[in-house]
Order: sequence, then structure tokens, then C-alpha cells
Amino acid sequence: MESSRDNHIKLQMRERESDYTNLQPYRIFCGTWNVNGQQASEAINEWLCPAEDSEPPDIYAIGFQELDLSKNAYIFSESVREEDWYKRIKEALHPKAKYKKVVKLVRLVGMMLVVFIRKGLELEIYDVMSGTVGTGIMGVMGNKGGVAVRFGLRDSTLCFVNSHLAAHTVEFERPHTDFKDINSRMLFGNRTISDHELVPCFFFFFSSENSLLFCSIVIWLGDLNYRLSDIDNDACKKLISDGRLQELMKYDQLVRQISQKNVFLDYLEGKISFIPTYKYDPGTDTWDTSEKCRTPAWCDRILWRGSNVGQLCYRSHMACKLSDHKPVSSIFESGIKVIDRAKQRQVYEDVMKQLDKWENEFLPQVEVSTMEIKFKDIKFIEQKKEILVVSNTGQVPVQFEFIPKPSDTNFCEPWLSVEPSKAVISVGAKCEVHLSVYVNKDTGPSLNSGKARIEDILVLHLDGGKDLFITVSGNYIPSSFSSSIETLVRMFKPVTDVETGSLIEIVSASTSLQHLILTIDQASSPNPSEDPPLDIPKEIWRLVDHLYKYGMEQDELFRQPGLHSEIQLIRDCLDQGKPRLLPGSVHSVAEALLLFLEVLPEPVVPYEHYDLCLHVCDNFTQAKQVLQRLPTSHRNVFKYICAFLRELLKHSASNFLDARFLGELHLNGHQSSRTAHQTRADHRSSLLCDAF
Amino acid sequence: MAKKTYDLLFKLLLIGDSGVGKTCLLFRFSDDAFNTTFISTIGIDFKIKTVELGGKKIKLQIWDTAGQERFHTITTSYYRGAMGIMLVYDITNAKTFDNISKWLRNIDEHANEDVEKMILGNKCDIEDKRQVPKQRGESIAREHGIPFLETSAKSNVNVEKAFMDLAQAILNKTPSKDADGHNKAVDIHKSESKGRCC
Repeated sequence: MESSRDNHIKLQMRERESDYTNLQPYRIFCGTWNVNGQQASEAINEWLCPAEDSEPPDIYAIGFQELDLSKNAYIFSESVREEDWYKRIKEALHPKAKYKKVVKLVRLVGMMLVVFIRKGLELEIYDVMSGTVGTGIMGVMGNKGGVAVRFGLRDSTLCFVNSHLAAHTVEFERPHTDFKDINSRMLFGNRTISDHELVPCFFFFFSSENSLLFCSIVIWLGDLNYRLSDIDNDACKKLISDGRLQELMKYDQLVRQISQKNVFLDYLEGKISFIPTYKYDPGTDTWDTSEKCRTPAWCDRILWRGSNVGQLCYRSHMACKLSDHKPVSSIFESGIKVIDRAKQRQVYEDVMKQLDKWENEFLPQVEVSTMEIKFKDIKFIEQKKEILVVSNTGQVPVQFEFIPKPSDTNFCEPWLSVEPSKAVISVGAKCEVHLSVYVNKDTGPSLNSGKARIEDILVLHLDGGKDLFITVSGNYIPSSFSSSIETLVRMFKPVTDVETGSLIEIVSASTSLQHLILTIDQASSPNPSEDPPLDIPKEIWRLVDHLYKYGMEQDELFRQPGLHSEIQLIRDCLDQGKPRLLPGSVHSVAEALLLFLEVLPEPVVPYEHYDLCLHVCDNFTQAKQVLQRLPTSHRNVFKYICAFLRELLKHSASNFLDARFLGELHLNGHQSSRTAHQTRADHRSSLLCDAF
Repeated sequence: MAKKTYDLLFKLLLIGDSGVGKTCLLFRFSDDAFNTTFISTIGIDFKIKTVELGGKKIKLQIWDTAGQERFHTITTSYYRGAMGIMLVYDITNAKTFDNISKWLRNIDEHANEDVEKMILGNKCDIEDKRQVPKQRGESIAREHGIPFLETSAKSNVNVEKAFMDLAQAILNKTPSKDADGHNKAVDIHKSESKGRCC
């Protein structure tokens, strides 16, 4: 993400370069001359500053080839010739301006490149580097190859390459190879200060950003050694003397190769209107009269690459006669980039702003069908469902997940379930999240008592994005199911008729009473002003009574399950107090009774008496004593159930029940989920039951 | 040469009563736009904006929180990661200003000890409905040693400045990576002494 952002910034800044860049024209003089190892015996003003050049250039880039053909030149970096020629150059620079050297010179054997800049402009150049590449003997020696100087000027990078490529009339592939070699191997790392002498090196492997490709303007000059093909000497000279240079140009290997895109890709060359610069008898303008009698050729060339470069002239200088080559020069007017820092900053900020905008737009986004989910009339053990639709309205796939709130380990309350709690939604797609509320014996008691409410906030987290808060609420209809025996015996009306406020009062009264009963005296009535509590919860009475009336003879009673829907109706009937007759089959009533006992927050035999019951279950007398210690209402319920069970056993002939099954069913069943230890206690209490 | 697009990442948090304009401030800062329709933020949202401060590119990740009371227990859990907290009230609603001290207590309880804070009195464009004089804002800010600004997301007053000042305050105590040991020591000392006086 970040690196693509980087690249985007670079690209955008490059694309919008013209918005913050001005071009300032600089006049650049480039010259190349193969001096054939001759001494610097004559002035070179005719080449570097011909009379027609009235305006002084800003930059001089002057390249020599075959400056020194002596063996010493291969071995030593110092050369006497170099000093002499350097002096000649200095004398010949345009008199209307003063010049400072950019690089004193960079030389590789016979190739030398000198760059001067007009005084006053030297402060605008920076990062001057040079490099040399030998492609001669063994592919690396410096008899052939190139030398180059690169530097920053204002906000452009300029590079001058002076090369002497391999020559052979029939083997014109060679110059290409050399060109490619120089191109790929010319890496600038040798950072120099203008006064320091450079040590010729073959390779500079620094970052690729220092290679030729990364220069805004490259001017390539030198003895490129391309000849004329498919034309004989006489025909060639005839065309020259007839002034039919454009015709002759068709035989030029470089022109052919460039047009076939074999070499100097992206480079341009101006129109050649001068006669071939090779090969002359030294000291004359006469074509080669030696044994070899070379066909004339345009060996010496100047090409360029880069935008905003205009060639003002491209010419040879016949007046310079000491070599078998004539020097060539060209003047360019090139637009050097000058960045307007304020504008550049503005553009940069724009680019960043745009990117920020995109980044924000690419953040995961969803819309939800509702921020508040309301469940209506939630009842005990009755599932209620709602659907939350999450739509991916953003531009990227979204992964959402419900995450826990800071202090919680679960993301939602235990009465709520959410499916799925985590999913991926593709762009434009939707996901239905099913929320269901189900109040069971774990969550029922606190909801019945009003201590807890159906209220929750879900945190819907988008991976890598925002969090949404989904509020879940609903009203719970309190039920006798999952209410405590102590509460129920103080409730004289059906649960639904009791107002929530007074319900809480009853609950808190019952808990404090229970406490009193347990600690002080179970028999005494602590608050005489209140109505005396019922002996047992009326709901238990109604369930048992119903079974007593209609189910004693029922085969499979307590063995066959009831219907969930009927149990819900029975629950409503118990909670609302009507109709008088419990609905549903006796099996459903039987299961409702089991359920009622199972979901009691405090079992009939309270938790704290389990251990004791365990101890005494084999001893009838002690068991009776323990029973006396149960809270009155619990003891009453216990006795009542036991009496009922005894009645049931009387009818075992028709209902096929036996004492063991019933005992386990009733006093195990309603605590089935509790620990094995407690279950054992329950089991033994079934013996208590038998004892009755 | 691969340069990161940002040098530092700062997490900022906007808190304050519902309707004071937290989302609008963020929208103005990030998108330079304003929307008059009030859509209560139900959750935690964020936007990013890259700024340049002291020659460093800083990516601000600005979290916008739900202001409604019923979400407070949840929203406070997001304080922990914040390096800067913008506490916003509405100058046209005195109650939102009265709650500032409650919000400050929240910050003390839930945010990092060295979190940079700033108090903003927003909607300063609605002068004719002003209920909280500027001096009251200034004085409560002074009391707690917190910078203060009156802003208008609608008229674009001080919005940029508020975020940049807060980012600058965080930057000031961020030990610079390339600084030598000496500088670092100074930075640490600075933030320590600051911690003590708060």
C-alpha cells in the first residue's frame, strides 16, 4: 500500500512537472575531434569559436579522440598531450565570456572530455560525476570506449559522453556493441570536485539512478566510426564534389542503423550539411592518398537525447588541418528546468491531498439496515429473531466482525446470539446477520427480577476501518419460570399482573427474608404486617394439580416429551393466570413441571444443603432433620412434590412408573446440568423421597 | 532510495458531547468541506490526512467518536492509543461546555498519561447564539494547561490550525530518529518535566 503510494506520488509529480517547472535557455557548445595523436601545434579557435558565433555559449563540452597514441597513454594517467591541448582549449574559448571548468578533464587513454561553464553559472551546477568505460582490447581496455561527465544544472541533469567506438568498414556491428556497452556500463559514481584530477576507472557500479538513462539531457559526441557502405570510393567522392550530400547520406551506416532502431534509440541527430570529416591527408583538405585510400566517412558525430533541446548548428571545421579527421561542433539551445519551489510544493500538496482522498475513499465502508434493533415482547425460552443487513457500500471488500467491548470477553450478552459474527462482504454485496434473543434459565432470573434488562451495544468492527455501534434492546415479559420459590410464594397475582416496580420489591423482600429465615428462625414471621406467603408457588400447585387430575393414569407420563409450543402456552397460562385449565397434553404439562423445577434459580434443595444431604441420605432421622433446615417454602415444595410422587406410584399399574425412575427424574432432572457431585447429592435425596 | 510516504504516524481523537461538531471539524480538515445535515456518529470512524511539519511528512489518523452518553463506556476504550485528543464543545450550548471537566476526567482515566490535549470551542460563526464567552473557554484551558482555540467548521476558522498545532505539540516531544543521543536526552527530559507538571 505504502510503496504503491510512493510510486504514485513520483508518477504524479513527473506527470505534472510542467505545472511547476520553468525552462531557462542555456547555450551549449559541443565539439569532437579525433586528433590522430598529433601535438597541439596549432590554434583551435576556428573550431571552438568560429567568427560566426557571436554569442558566447554557456557551456562547452569538448571531446578528443586519439589524443595520445603512445604506449604510455595506456599505462599512465598523466599525459603531456593532455596539458597542451587543455591549454589550447582555454585559449580558444569565446572571448566575450569567462569560463570555469566543470571538470578539469576526464580522460581514458586517447579519449578526453573537458567541460567548461560560463563564470557566474558555476554555482548552479552540482553533483558533478564522471565515468569511463573501456570497450577496446579484451572488451575493457581504453583504446576504445567512452568517457562521460554528468552534472546537475538547476533542476536538470546533463550528461556529455565522448566516445571512440570500434571501427571496421565491414563490421559495422561493432560500434553498436560498444554503444550498448557504454550505455549499460556508464554509471556515474565518481563524484568529483572540479579541481580534482580524476582517476580513470572502468566500472562504477552505483545505484542505477546514476546511469545515463536518468539524465534529462544526454549529448553523445565522438568518433563513432560509422562508415559509408555499399558505395565505392570514386562514386562517393563524386557525390561529395557534386554537393549531393543527402544522397550520400543514404549509405551512412549510422543513419541506416538508427532508422532500423538498432542503435542510439531515442537519440536524435541534426541534418548533416558538411562533407565527411574523414579521412584527409594530415595538414590538407585532400582525401586520403595513402595506400589504404579510405573511402570518406562521417565518423565524427554529435547526437542528443532529451526534451527541450534545440540544435542551432551542426558543422565541421575545415580550417583545422593537423589531423586526418576534421573537427565537428554543434551548438544547442536547451531548456534547463528550473523548478518553482512554491508551485512544486503546491502541486505536491495537491497530489498528497488527492492520495489522502483516495485512501479515505478506499477505507472499508458499510451501511447497516438499522443502528437500533428492538425485540418486542421477549418471553422465557421463546426465541425472537431480527435481521441486520450489512451492505458493503465502499470500494473494497469488507471484513466485519463483532468485537467485545472493553470490559467484556464476549461481544454480546448471553441472551443474544449473532450469526455470523464475522464475515467478508464483497463490494456492493450484502450480508444478513441473524440476531436472536433466547432467555433461558441462566439469564431468566435477573431479567425476571428486573436486575438485568434486554439492552446491549454491539461493536461492529470493520477490519482496517471504523467501528459501528449497534444498539440492541427489547422488553422482557417476566415469567414465573426462572423466578425463585421465595419470590413466587409472595406473589399472589399472576406474574404479568405484577408491575415491574413491585416485582423488584417482592424479589428484594424475598431475598432478604430468605436470608433472615436461614440465619435466624425459619418459623417466625419477620414481618407481620405483610400478607403471609403462600405455602408453595401457585404455579407448581397448578401444574401438579393438573397432572393429579388428568395424568395419573397416563401411560408414559414423564417419559414422553411434550411439545415446545404447548409448553410456551402453559407458561403463558401460568404467568397470566388464565385460562383456568392448562392447555396442551398432560405430557406437555409434565415437561413444563420438570422445566419449572429445572430453571429455578435456587433449587428445591438449595445449593448450600447439598453436602449435608449427601451425608444424611442413608439415615431417615437425620434426613428429616436436614429437611427441617430448608427454608419453609422450599420444604413445602419438597414435601408437596414427594406427596405427588407417592400418589403417582400408587398408579404405577397404569402409568408404569417406578420409584427409582421418578426419583431420578424429578430430583435429578431439574438439576441435570449441575456437577456430578451435586447430581449424586440429588440422587441420594431421591432416597429421601422414597423414605416418605 | 525507496522513501516512505510518511515519516511519522500520529493518532488523534476527537471527543466531546453529541452535536458539538466533531465530525464536521474532521470533514472540514480532511475534505475541506462542510455539510449542514446532522448525522449522529454511532461508532468510531476515522480519516487520514498527510501533513508536513518541520520537514517531516506526518500521517494523521484522526478518530471521530460517538458523542452520545450511552456510548461513553465504549468510546473511552479508544482513548488508549491516541497521541492527541481534541476536546470539543459548542459555544452556543452551555451544557456542552459544562461537560468539559467531565471529559477531562475521562481523559485522565482512560488516555495515555502523556497525551497531548486541546480544547476547541466550535461553531464560533454563530455569534448571536453564543452562550459560552470566549474567556470561559480560555480560562478553563489555562487552568488545565491545555491550548485552546475557537473554531468554526462551517466558516473554516482555525480548523487547520487546531489540527496542525496539536500535531506540532506531538511532534515536539517525539524524539527524532536521526538526532544524536544528546538531543534525544533533551527530548525525553522535556516530556518528563511536562508529565510532572500536569
